[in-house]
Amino acid sequence: MSAERVDVKEKVLSASDQLAAEIRARLEANGVFAVNLISSPGSGKTTLLECTVDLMKESLRLGVVAGDVQTRNDADRLLRHEIPVEAIETGGGCHLDARQVSKSLEGLDLSKTDLLFIENVGNLVCPSSFDLGESMKVVLMSVTEGEDKPLKYPAAFKRARVLVLTKTDLVPHLQFSLDHAIENARAVNPDLTVFSTSSYTGEGLAEWTGWLAGQVAVLKRNKGSGESAGP
Amino acid sequence: MHEMSLALEIKAICERELAKLPESRLTALGVEVGAFSGVEVETLQFCLQVVMSEGFDGFRCEVVRQPGTAACLSCGLEFQVTQAPFECPRCGALAHGVSGGDSLHVSYIEVECE
Repeated sequence: MSAERVDVKEKVLSASDQLAAEIRARLEANGVFAVNLISSPGSGKTTLLECTVDLMKESLRLGVVAGDVQTRNDADRLLRHEIPVEAIETGGGCHLDARQVSKSLEGLDLSKTDLLFIENVGNLVCPSSFDLGESMKVVLMSVTEGEDKPLKYPAAFKRARVLVLTKTDLVPHLQFSLDHAIENARAVNPDLTVFSTSSYTGEGLAEWTGWLAGQVAVLKRNKGSGESAGP
Repeated sequence: MHEMSLALEIKAICERELAKLPESRLTALGVEVGAFSGVEVETLQFCLQVVMSEGFDGFRCEVVRQPGTAACLSCGLEFQVTQAPFECPRCGALAHGVSGGDSLHVSYIEVECE
């Protein structure tokens, strides 16, 4: 009998990451810019999405994958805005995974989609670990949650490219400093692009949707130049 | 509780590695977990006990916490951190941003071969 040590050095999520890479390739081949929205429950993901799709659906072809632990409530709310929506009920699962997203994308015509929103399960911890093949992660934080959320849940803020602060119309009623919250977020991730929004008053939504449209345009331009440069 | 999903993935990796080594038994498993990976080490260890109890037993499980690195904006010192805020141990200024600490790897297994 002999003992042996084997260096494995394999990422725990390597199988999941491989599937996410396949999703990313599918999205890129179709020129789809995909945003993975992550936040605590109740921070306003669905409401922000409703306002966002109303502002963008005339100019871009949108799609949504809406995840929830139970019910199709979020998906039903978004369907009323007359855009393609696929619902994922995780049935207890605390995050979306690449397998679920890959399956739900079967229900969307990616060749007719410019911008895809993946609304993750409301949870500021688990979803940040799972690559879904998105173009980027966007983390939401509502002003009622407290300024120190980025320090308490650093993984979500570290892995996101964008922070959207929501419900800013409530700031006058709270002891909450937007500057301090942003400072905490930038302490974890200095490269974050930050939008301060209120889905109730509409504040900041033009900047947020303008930025999204810009990302789609850059993707289309790069894809176009890549194709014309080919044989 | 995504630690349960992660434990199942770790078990699958162990099974794949063991399949390459016929007539062998797992005696140790090493996992590296980044301080900013969003994974709770004790929960992961508990979940590993649960999922590994079917098929594997009597092995040692070593979970190593990997820190991140922050650089002080004021004096430039690079130092290891496991949680925000990142206060420089030399001058007390705050560092902005952290690199690394995202790891989530099976680093090694140890086996006994017949």
